[in-house]
Amino acid sequence: MGDFFYGLTDWLRGTFLLDASFWIETTGLNRLLVENFWAVPMAQVMHIMGIGAAFAATLMLTLRVNNLAGGARTMPQISSRYMPWIWWGLLWIAISGIVMLWAEPVRNMVNGVFWMKMLLLVVTVAITLVFQKSVRTASVAGGPAWNASGGTKVLAWLIVILWCLIMAHGRWIAYAPV
Amino acid sequence: MASYYPEPTNIWESIEYSSLGTSIAESLWAFPTLETIHVIALVTVFGTILIMDLRLLGIAGNQWAVTQMSKDTLPWTWGAFVLAAITGTLLFVSKASTYMVNPYFLTKLGLLALAGLNMAYFHFVTYKTVSDWDAAPTLPAGAKLAATVSMVAWIGVVFCGRAIGFTLGIYY
Repeated sequence: MGDFFYGLTDWLRGTFLLDASFWIETTGLNRLLVENFWAVPMAQVMHIMGIGAAFAATLMLTLRVNNLAGGARTMPQISSRYMPWIWWGLLWIAISGIVMLWAEPVRNMVNGVFWMKMLLLVVTVAITLVFQKSVRTASVAGGPAWNASGGTKVLAWLIVILWCLIMAHGRWIAYAPV
Repeated sequence: MASYYPEPTNIWESIEYSSLGTSIAESLWAFPTLETIHVIALVTVFGTILIMDLRLLGIAGNQWAVTQMSKDTLPWTWGAFVLAAITGTLLFVSKASTYMVNPYFLTKLGLLALAGLNMAYFHFVTYKTVSDWDAAPTLPAGAKLAATVSMVAWIGVVFCGRAIGFTLGIYY
């Protein structure tokens, strides 16, 4: 797997992303972030807090769909409590992520692990959209006694696993050869 | 096999130069893998505590009984905390003497203790009257204070955890 990421990063180095990264390094915002020692760590703290909020909301939704927790509340009640936190959390994660990227563009954009993380993120968002829409519709139609289908239950866990993979890639960005 | 490590001069160096400590430090994948599990565990701890604290503060999930919400989140908070503690200990072992002189690491331990004491006080004192306010949308000051202290402590833990990574090698 190391070879795959090494090859991917090597290829990225030949694309416009390298020049784009160098351009970002000429901007005032980059300078501001680079010259302030605490800027990147603070953005990372924000990033982690956002992941905590969105991931825990995802987990609680998954547990309810699988009848493992939250059984005292109906599915629509659970949805309205946790689904907005997932999307606002993702927005918060994206903003803090862009700050981190702007501070260290080469480390992120010319990095195979980063782009694999982005790919996983897009896949996760797409599956989450489908999953949430189907759960909302089916649970309202099914009433208080609604029970998720086997496929929906598996899909919920798949989203949790994808989040874990995204987090793993996030941590390994720091260890990838740039 | 000859040891490439100097004679330990204190307990922290003894831990760091132990076979467990040097194995983790010398491995290409062990430290980042442990960090990855640590991150997944700690966001679960932070996120599930956030859900509970937001309820106690009256910000989200106010129609839910506090006892029910606690039942839903607490097993995951504890399970993830144990995982974070195990991986955190293994990360510590590989760099024990460097961590023990790092003020952010020591502050993190202090904040974890604060979070623990706050939780114990909430559980054994404030929570005794929970039946009076379990389903109330607005909770007593004691519950709100516990949630505020909890959030401050856990955000502080996350901050110190990140700060450690940026200040290794600065302190001797």
